[in-house]
Amino acid sequence: MLEQQLVNALTLGCVYALFALGFTLVFGVLGVINLSHGAVFMVGAYAALQTITRLHLPIWGATAAAIVASGSVGLIVDVLVLKPLRRRGSPHLIPMIATIGVAIALNSTSQGVFGPENLRFPYGTIPEAAVEIAGLYVTVLDLAIIFTSFALMVALKAAIGSTRLGRALRAIAESPKAARLLGINVEMLFHLTAFVAAALGGVAGMMIGLYSNAVFPLMGQPMLLKGVAVVILGGMGDIRGAMLGGLFLGFAEVLSVAYIGSTMRDAVAFGLLFLILLVRPQGLFGTVVERKA
Amino acid sequence: MEWFAYFWAIYGNLVLTVGINSLLALSIYLTISCGVLTLANAAFMGIGAYMSALLTMSGGVPFAAALAAGMLAPAVVAFAMAGPTLRLSGVYLAMATLAFGEVVRVGILNAEGLTGGALGLNGIPQSTEWWHVAAALVVTMFALQRIRRSKVGRAFEAIKEDETAAALMGIDVAGYRMLAFVLGAALAGLAGGLNAHLTFFIGPNEFGFERSVDILTMAILGGTGSIAGPIVGSAILTLLPEILRGLANYRLLFNGLLLVTIVLLLPRGVWDTARTYLVRARPLRDQKDRTRC
Amino acid sequence: MKSVVIKAAVAFGAFALAATSNAAEIRIGVAEALSGGAGQYGIAIRNGFQLAADEINAAGGIKGNRIALVIEDEQGKKEEAINVFKKLIVQDRVLMIFGPTLSNSAQASFPIAQASKVVAFGTSTTADGITAIGNYVFRNALTEADVVPVTIKVAAKKTGFKNVAVFYGNDDVFTKSGYDNFRKALADQKIPVTATETFAKGDVDFKAQLTKIKATSPDALVLSALIAEGAPILVQARQLGIKIPVVGGNGMNSVKVFDLAKGASDGLWIGSPWSIENPIPANQKFVTAYQAKFSNPPDQFAAQAYDAMYIVAAALGKVKLSGDLAADRSALRDALPSVTHDGVTGPFVFRQAVDRSGKPAGYDGKQESIVSVTKDGKYVIQK
Repeated sequence: MLEQQLVNALTLGCVYALFALGFTLVFGVLGVINLSHGAVFMVGAYAALQTITRLHLPIWGATAAAIVASGSVGLIVDVLVLKPLRRRGSPHLIPMIATIGVAIALNSTSQGVFGPENLRFPYGTIPEAAVEIAGLYVTVLDLAIIFTSFALMVALKAAIGSTRLGRALRAIAESPKAARLLGINVEMLFHLTAFVAAALGGVAGMMIGLYSNAVFPLMGQPMLLKGVAVVILGGMGDIRGAMLGGLFLGFAEVLSVAYIGSTMRDAVAFGLLFLILLVRPQGLFGTVVERKA
Repeated sequence: MEWFAYFWAIYGNLVLTVGINSLLALSIYLTISCGVLTLANAAFMGIGAYMSALLTMSGGVPFAAALAAGMLAPAVVAFAMAGPTLRLSGVYLAMATLAFGEVVRVGILNAEGLTGGALGLNGIPQSTEWWHVAAALVVTMFALQRIRRSKVGRAFEAIKEDETAAALMGIDVAGYRMLAFVLGAALAGLAGGLNAHLTFFIGPNEFGFERSVDILTMAILGGTGSIAGPIVGSAILTLLPEILRGLANYRLLFNGLLLVTIVLLLPRGVWDTARTYLVRARPLRDQKDRTRC
Repeated sequence: MKSVVIKAAVAFGAFALAATSNAAEIRIGVAEALSGGAGQYGIAIRNGFQLAADEINAAGGIKGNRIALVIEDEQGKKEEAINVFKKLIVQDRVLMIFGPTLSNSAQASFPIAQASKVVAFGTSTTADGITAIGNYVFRNALTEADVVPVTIKVAAKKTGFKNVAVFYGNDDVFTKSGYDNFRKALADQKIPVTATETFAKGDVDFKAQLTKIKATSPDALVLSALIAEGAPILVQARQLGIKIPVVGGNGMNSVKVFDLAKGASDGLWIGSPWSIENPIPANQKFVTAYQAKFSNPPDQFAAQAYDAMYIVAAALGKVKLSGDLAADRSALRDALPSVTHDGVTGPFVFRQAVDRSGKPAGYDGKQESIVSVTKDGKYVIQK
């Protein structure tokens, strides 16, 4: 049983990491706890679903649709809502409240347009059956999720670590004012980050919609809470931390179910989170970055 | 007077809910005024609710005593966990309290024998009268006003502005933060006890992440620069769904959009911004009431 | 879906307009969750009421009076349920109230109806203790206590399972009370339980628990879940190589399972007074009419709402409405307990429950249940 549970944990961990990647990016660069990330996650899932059911495009088309749809929503939110608040220098709780409003609006719109019921991707969008390898059961989607999350993490880290763009983003993360003084087009980069982060969320939505066979208007809400936990574990704004934090949470949850009991699962996960914060507030994997004005 | 009886028969519960939500928002206001951002007040509300309900239901304990116990229990829990937790600050503290809140919720869920688990506590005597809520609110406002003007209040403000400087001035930062945290917990517990005895029923899912976010939203929306702010915020957020009821399917959409609009137009919160416009003659004084979290 | 909403709104609007033009209209309140997490169930319930009310009115109403539904969204929140009940009772002056959707909301709002002497009729609220609130409380939502033992007995006989593992949602009243009933029935029928695992609402991944269950080698899986989690559980179970039969509670009785769990939906046993495949003429007529009106097949929630409206209509047929609201509300309450109805959920009678101190209180439904198993995308009724 243990080996299967390890596989389960790996997949679940990557599911969480996928969601957290976009979430942590917004916090790291824009300095905002974006509670509408769950909603853009949902938008991506619906966009992908509609592309497949109405336009009959294959999965790649659906992925593109998720990226465009969610990314656009994220961008619009940044331009219309977050930018004016930035201009005013609002303390960072205010934008968070605004993103709550955005989430409520998006969730209810989706419920009005698509209905509240659970929908699912058509059977056969991706091969459903599991493959048995050495007694372990793995599906194509499990592998796709694991692969995608690691690939995205590597790509993001490379983009931020090595490119000029990435350096500019890191400068902004440390101090937007200083970055501006250095001649970096901070606003443009904020918009770009918002787009990319939301697009990541959209892709996550599509993949998790496929994984769970459940696409519904409020699907982002439970993920949001787990996403917050992952981002704390991994360190806010830390890309590799989001990955590692996701894996950590996945393993903590699966192993606590396997060896302690499923009723205690959330208590264990959040209890661990609490203890970790007491000992290491920057998270298990993050580094302390004091954000200057 | 008949008009009033008619009004109260329909909207009595709503008015009392505004009162109870105000108490909750004030509990967060109290901690924020000392620079402590806590998302555990929903959990403290839950502890207070269950404690007082269990006492009145099983022990036939008089209502006032049950309410007192409902304030004491969360205060004790807050005191116990405050030590290590309050060493954190800012967002990390918020997240730690959030994690703690989840642990409490799962604990209540699993302690079936005592709390009824998911089935909740049913048939709680409806002991809360309008004057309980009114009295609680008035006393709380009065107490908060007194605190604000006293040495304690000044210490709170100093700590909120700049912890390091406050410590250098000889203020017992840790002690005051603990005080704010514990008092906030007690206040939330009172709200919980009143709520439980108003609605006949409580369940563990009411005291989780969503409620904590709601409470925070109410406080921030109204403005945390003054005592009236959170009350205004509670009133708006509680009454908004009622007022928008005529919009039927579009109600939630409007709710979300309205929230975003209010945040955009009135970034310091509804009440604080309104006050600034009403009191143009004294700009200097109002500048000090900057929300800073 | 949007067009359905618009059509329904227009139909309702026209309907309301027509209703107001008639001197005596019977105002019935409907408080259901039309938004939020419980929205999918609340909307199905509302649809059931709407269909029944439209049919009754088309046939001339009740002794010439038309039914006017006053529909409010209680959002699946107990505070809203209380507010909505008060508004319906005092402001809209309805004769009685159907709803709310969730048991939690019912426990908060029914005491108000009881105190105001207004009949409150739940069609989806199955938790214990609801009908203990008082004698104005009615429900036709069958608690699983009656259904589950039959389902287990029949499934055990037909599949020959000797032991089971149990998997249930422990943070939702519906699934938790289902579990309590399953546990009791399993104990009564002396069926050993190899493992008991839980999940929470909103979970997307169940493989950890399922792997643990698989390791204990049960012959069957007892699942107390709503369709939203139940369908993914079925899919993931099959993906892990768990091929044993699954015995489900009320929540799994929905044709949505064939879509949501496509390829993994065979071998699911459920028991319920209502089955979409039940060939009785009343049911087939209902299924066709519902599908035509709402573009979706009905589910159990819709069916129970539909029957509930007819039950109330039958009671109203026995009552002479005087125009004095308080008297009429009482008269309706007095007429209800003796109503019998043969509807889409089969023959129905009320059975009085007791309150905490043992005195007679509200009324539960008493019905026979049908056990079905899924095969090739259909529910097959087992005799």
